[in-house]
Amino acid sequence: MEFKESAHLDSALTDPATRTLNADKLIGRWRNTNTKTRGIAEITIKERDGKFTVTASGVGSDGPIPWPPAQALALANLEEEAGQRAVALAVNFDFDFMTAETYLRVNKGVLVIVLFVTFRDDSGRSNYVNREFFYRQE
Amino acid sequence: MNMQVAQICDQVEIDRTIAAAIDHAGLLGTWINSNPDTTGVTRFVVTEDSGRLTVQTYAIGPDGVIDWGTADVTVFASSASARVATGFACRYDFGFGETFLQGMILKGLVVLAQFHTFKDDSNRAPFFVREYYALDHGRF
Repeated sequence: MEFKESAHLDSALTDPATRTLNADKLIGRWRNTNTKTRGIAEITIKERDGKFTVTASGVGSDGPIPWPPAQALALANLEEEAGQRAVALAVNFDFDFMTAETYLRVNKGVLVIVLFVTFRDDSGRSNYVNREFFYRQE
Repeated sequence: MNMQVAQICDQVEIDRTIAAAIDHAGLLGTWINSNPDTTGVTRFVVTEDSGRLTVQTYAIGPDGVIDWGTADVTVFASSASARVATGFACRYDFGFGETFLQGMILKGLVVLAQFHTFKDDSNRAPFFVREYYALDHGRF
């Protein structure tokens, strides 16, 4: 088996349960903890037949801006202690003028998302990274 | 110009006459993993040559450190109007798999998110690791 680091040889990676471990911790509707956010207001994560779909809405000047639904890649999480492990998601929101490469994970019940935004237009805006926190909307 | 946005923080005023490249000086140097027991990336070195930013990454294997070689870096600021680097991304293609690295500076540390996917028939699950790296500044 080829590798470039010891973690590539972790036996947990070939355990089928690893692929969806505690995925229920991610699924649902999440609202930004920051009421004054100028970024993403809300996120919904759904799972069907082992495939995850993420939808989001950004804060706009005239109301919410719906983001295109995107399919997420579920990633096994090796960083937490075994009992706390849950999959993380990587998702790429693709707009004509920009893309947001995003990863989502749950830490102690809070959904943490990190976005790496790249602009494709010639607006002169800087590519940027942003992190936001969400609580579960029951 | 009609500026398209997906969130209101992307609606910024840019003076195109003074718009400059992102200052990436804060990324340069050798960044060392805070976890001596890591099973992944031990350190990475960000360098610039004639304006081209690259990273050289080293990881720990069963028999010692493995040099991943260099990869081109994309730089990210903290907002659409900021001009100072607070993050970067790069990609390694190893043939049998790929690793995508996303780094973000928080309180002087780089939080490095590492996304590993496999293209071979080993049936290994893609996985995610996030570790912390400190700049080897050599001052104290």
